[in-house]
Amino acid sequence: MELWQALLIGLFAYLGRNQVPWLFGTTGGWYGIGRPLVAGLICGVILGDVTAGVLCGVAVQAIFIGQITPGGAVPSDMNLAAYIGIPLAIAAGGGAETAVALAIPLGALGVALHNFTMTVQAAFSHRADRCAEKADARGVRISNVMGTSVSFLERFFIVSLTCYFGAPFAESLLASLPAIVLEFLAVGGKMLPALGFAILLKQILDEKWMILLFILGWVFMSSFNITITSLVFIAASLSLIYVMAKYSKYGAVQTENGTVNESNGFKDEEGNYEE
Amino acid sequence: MKNKRKLTKKDVSKASLRWLFFHQSSHNYERMMGTGFAHSLSGALEKLYEDDKEGLKDALQRNLTFFNTEPQLGSIIPGICLALEESHAIDGDVEPEVILSTKNALMGPFAGIGDSLLVGTLNPILLSIGIGLSANGSPIGAIVFLTLWLAIVLPIKYGLFVRGYSLGLDAVSILTNDRTKKIVTTTLTMVGLIVIGGVASTVIKAPIALQYKAGDMVISIQEILDKIMPNLMPLIVALVSYYLVDKKGWSTNKLLLGILVFAFVMVLLGIM
Repeated sequence: MELWQALLIGLFAYLGRNQVPWLFGTTGGWYGIGRPLVAGLICGVILGDVTAGVLCGVAVQAIFIGQITPGGAVPSDMNLAAYIGIPLAIAAGGGAETAVALAIPLGALGVALHNFTMTVQAAFSHRADRCAEKADARGVRISNVMGTSVSFLERFFIVSLTCYFGAPFAESLLASLPAIVLEFLAVGGKMLPALGFAILLKQILDEKWMILLFILGWVFMSSFNITITSLVFIAASLSLIYVMAKYSKYGAVQTENGTVNESNGFKDEEGNYEE
Repeated sequence: MKNKRKLTKKDVSKASLRWLFFHQSSHNYERMMGTGFAHSLSGALEKLYEDDKEGLKDALQRNLTFFNTEPQLGSIIPGICLALEESHAIDGDVEPEVILSTKNALMGPFAGIGDSLLVGTLNPILLSIGIGLSANGSPIGAIVFLTLWLAIVLPIKYGLFVRGYSLGLDAVSILTNDRTKKIVTTTLTMVGLIVIGGVASTVIKAPIALQYKAGDMVISIQEILDKIMPNLMPLIVALVSYYLVDKKGWSTNKLLLGILVFAFVMVLLGIM
């Protein structure tokens, strides 16, 4: 891996890190290019092998698909996992299984780093306090923006350096592994996405019977020759039929009460009455 | 309270954009998004307290306190607080305690709704679609995911702030409206489950390598299973994993280890 490639990957890792402001806050960063699916594409483009990058991204994403970030606590840092695991896997000539095997421990390491920055960055809140004491609004803003420097130092340097110096190491490590270990990694890597989907299911299932919907989607996809886009339309139709039938006594109209009733107290009354 | 206004549309828009970008810029365990909250409102506060240094100081300190929510759906809270701050600054109608308690009362509920709806459901659904489209190595899935996510969430994030400002406290009753919430959640959950099921079937794999030999005849177990139903084994792996996480309360790490040990044993026995 060339130095410029490692530096560029480090830069994107920083931009896609949790808390970093530059890409519409967390929306474009952590929840956007920080997702392994997108990280795979970005690393693939930088390293000149888009297909390999995307395939690694898909595999790593599948494991981390059920992980959300409630209240600032990160269960596993998929940004670090992806932006180090995927480039190293590509550089070492390994496939998606290698990326997955690297991503899991890296995800745990990322949590430790995240906790570190979340502690250090309190200094900027204290700086903002001192500015507020002097009624200096601009100083408050500057303090807040300065906070991201800690994230930059942490993510940019760790990712760039690990990618640059780790690539030859990962390559020789992969070459020296016995066949049985590689086979085990391959089989384990194929089943591990079940982990991500199990957590996701736990999170979004709110009624027991709904597990059948998961199975329905599974059976449709594997038994018929359809694409994911056609499945989305099937899913949307079925869901709308159910929702319209269930909530029909309120009228099937789906507009929020609120957007209509702003200037009209009557609708609000009606809505409350029916509720 | 709404007929007296000092802030223009531009001021509100600027505050909304500041929130949209910088909500977590100095996120930390002590104040969480508190500094980001003050950053967002600070420009408008400067205007409200143009020649009242003491008032500006109080207002800035008031908005630097602990704040934590889901920043995308929760953008409505700084919006609401801005309306309250304005009315406090103009005629003291709203007491500072009301502003603080409004902010504190809202951050929990909106963190809950935002985490479950946007981060916990919409993001994984769009990711699943992306995974499905990119399963063959094509970049289109990653691009579709990013485009859809930004196109849906950015208007919500920006718009809710502005709406929160224009409605003030009325905004709360709308967004926590039970029926709207139920309809949106049920539709999203159902679409999500079906799509996620489809995507999971293409990603989770459990190929059986075992073959049964009797003389010249070789029977592949995988072929038999495929005749019962394609992708049957991986479905069982997925459902058992879900059962262990949900009913047995297995942690992520425990399940991770469980799957790896299972894979290791299967490879050793030559079954997979």
